[in-house]
Amino acid sequence: MSLLVYYILRRLISAIVVMAMVGIFIFLLIRLTPGDPAAIIAGPTASEQMVASVREQLGLNEPLPVQFGQWAQNTLRGDFGTSVFAGRPVVQLMKQRMEPTLSVALLTLFVSVVGGVTFGILAAWRAGGVVDRALTVFSALGYSLPVFVVGYFLIYVFAIQTRLLPVQGYVPIGQGLGPWFAHLILPTVALSLPYIAFIARIARASMLEVLSEDYMRTAAAKGASPYSMLFRHALKNAGAPIVTVIGLSFAYMIGGVVLTETVFNIPGIGRLVVDAINNRDYPVIQSVLIVISGIYVLINLAVDLAYTLIDPRIRY
Amino acid sequence: MKWSHGVPQAFDPYTTTDVDIGDYAFGVYDMLFGLDSKLVPQPQMIGDWSASDDKRTYTFQLRDGLSWHDHTKVTAADCVASIRRWFQTPGGSLVQQRAQDVSIKDDKTFVITLKEPLGLLIDQLAQVSTYPLFIMREKDADRPPSEAVTTHIGSGPFKFNEELFVPGANITFDKFEEYVPRSEAPDGLAGGKIARVNRVIWNDFPDQQTAVSALQAGEIDFLGAPPADLYPVIESDPNLVLEDLYKSGYNYFLRMNCLQKPFNNVKARQAMLHLINQEAFLRIINPSPQYSRPVKSLFGTGTAYTNEANTDWYKEGGDAEAAKRLFAEAGYAGEKVVILDPTDWGEAHNASLLLASEMRKIGINAELASTDWAGLVTRRAKRVSVDEGGWSIFISSATDFQFGDPTTAAWMAMNGEESWFGWPESAEYEALRAKWPDVETLEERQALAREMQQVWWNYASLISLGQVISPVAHRKDLTGLVGLKTGNVPMWNMQKG
Repeated sequence: MSLLVYYILRRLISAIVVMAMVGIFIFLLIRLTPGDPAAIIAGPTASEQMVASVREQLGLNEPLPVQFGQWAQNTLRGDFGTSVFAGRPVVQLMKQRMEPTLSVALLTLFVSVVGGVTFGILAAWRAGGVVDRALTVFSALGYSLPVFVVGYFLIYVFAIQTRLLPVQGYVPIGQGLGPWFAHLILPTVALSLPYIAFIARIARASMLEVLSEDYMRTAAAKGASPYSMLFRHALKNAGAPIVTVIGLSFAYMIGGVVLTETVFNIPGIGRLVVDAINNRDYPVIQSVLIVISGIYVLINLAVDLAYTLIDPRIRY
Repeated sequence: MKWSHGVPQAFDPYTTTDVDIGDYAFGVYDMLFGLDSKLVPQPQMIGDWSASDDKRTYTFQLRDGLSWHDHTKVTAADCVASIRRWFQTPGGSLVQQRAQDVSIKDDKTFVITLKEPLGLLIDQLAQVSTYPLFIMREKDADRPPSEAVTTHIGSGPFKFNEELFVPGANITFDKFEEYVPRSEAPDGLAGGKIARVNRVIWNDFPDQQTAVSALQAGEIDFLGAPPADLYPVIESDPNLVLEDLYKSGYNYFLRMNCLQKPFNNVKARQAMLHLINQEAFLRIINPSPQYSRPVKSLFGTGTAYTNEANTDWYKEGGDAEAAKRLFAEAGYAGEKVVILDPTDWGEAHNASLLLASEMRKIGINAELASTDWAGLVTRRAKRVSVDEGGWSIFISSATDFQFGDPTTAAWMAMNGEESWFGWPESAEYEALRAKWPDVETLEERQALAREMQQVWWNYASLISLGQVISPVAHRKDLTGLVGLKTGNVPMWNMQKG
């Protein structure tokens, strides 16, 4: 067994332990948080008798260890249970919501990586120049403007005033690439600004460090073109920290699209979990958080493995 | 046709009082009787009906042309099963107590036999204030209400589109082509329910600012409850209309825990009547004066039973000195008063903040227990003292319409341990309330309402904070909307262009 395979297996085993701990933590946290799904289902003006009847129906009167045992057993079998509100399998709910979230997150990641890395490289190449100073201003704006402010501004300009793009909603990719893309432009722009700024700052710093190395001067002395210097020599050596922040950004993005989904009325996984938390829909909260934890773990693993491709000196 | 509308995840109208589920049920299911705009019950699924001379036997015959969305015929057996299911909910409990039998006579005819006459029988079959009688297929209605119906097969003018449903995000309703509307003109929940559009889509907007933007851009046609701070934006748009469709509103109120100090003392509760200045609370619940008004009567502002009995003594409220004096007379000694504060419900949260501030000003040791609504509904069920995790006050609301029926509005009972949260107890009031179903004429019931109110405000378990009217916003080319005082908007009759 190669060292790499052994490393991956070890990481996967530790991921299972991490997710088990996450599972226990989530279960206890939401059960210990005050709130009763039965009372919410029954409605604000329902009598105590009606609430008690709904609670009995949902099995919420069972002791906590019994509930945990049932949940853990079912989860290990791949059965995430049934939403206490929708009465539908949680897997079905997540499948419906995963496409919009992944669409926004992946498109945002693409824009952020292309925009951020390009911006960072150009700023580093002409450090102190116009592009570099523009990056400083852009970074300050990107970090400080909340996504809902940017979102409302974009909606006002591009949807209400000029009617160029839709205000809100999501069209599945199966219903046409054009409408799908049109509905994603504004959310993607709003969400990607801080990530472009973040990745660009890191890319600039890494590139600056590499560009001052002796071998870069050697390359210049040998008459290497700017393109070759930047992309063949510098970027490859500055890649590890950039890949790290890209991985981190994507992980944050999956969990952090809630606000974007809210502002642009996108029925994604973020809204699903927020609604579930408000309703104390325990099976949905538990399952979504477990899945998101799993995605985090896998992204971290992918980033670690990417290091070996960028830098052949790295071995596991 | 697209609406901004709450999208429920569970739908059985026999398991919840949720207003969104009511809107769904009005479209998908039909009712035996429907209340017209004057709240008078009119036959809807019923063709003919008659009562025996002793008023103990009612015979109902279904009108022609009724069918389910699965294309089978609606029968008397479906109605009987639905009535029996309804009996198990608070909405049907009154009729259930009086009913001796509900039986099928033939395919289209069924009979309700009563142990003793019930003057309100038809009103109860038509009531929509809590758990209305929606008619379901027999195989669905045979389930107890504790077991939710998960199919969406009704006999109403709109069909639920299962394929396009995204729980919590959007619902699509399609016109039910086989629906045969009554010939009378639409009037509230009565008359012809004519679906004039082929499809209605509800989108659940988590952000109301975005919903208003979508309305401006023409992406949606209707917005049920726009936020008050955006009224000027809507009013200034020539393509939009802000309309008081419901001709009613939501009554906000605070409920006190009558089992625990200090509100187990009537003087402390009466002190709150003196303290609360509804105008002040209304200004922070809804800043638009034209869309709010004070509520003086237990029976709301616009029901047939609204009256002024026993309201003079506390005048308009806002009398801090009188409140302070009564708290002193109640022997208040600095006990902690816990106000449950739902931070995820803006209006109630703001009102809770003001309430705490007003109480502190007169020396009450008021403490806000911040939580979300889900946490609040759990804690309000606790009857223990505040030191053991109980509560003193919480704020809630209900439609003005619901205050017109003390037999179904849970918070209008004062039957102690059996009562709604707060558990007030007054045998005198309950004796009067028990007479309600048997009173024959409107005038007699209005007189009874005045008597009940006399006792109610002396006991003071619930204090009104005022009524907020929620106008709807829609595109100018959307016409024919039917507004109900229940706060519901049915999908029939409306059209574009």
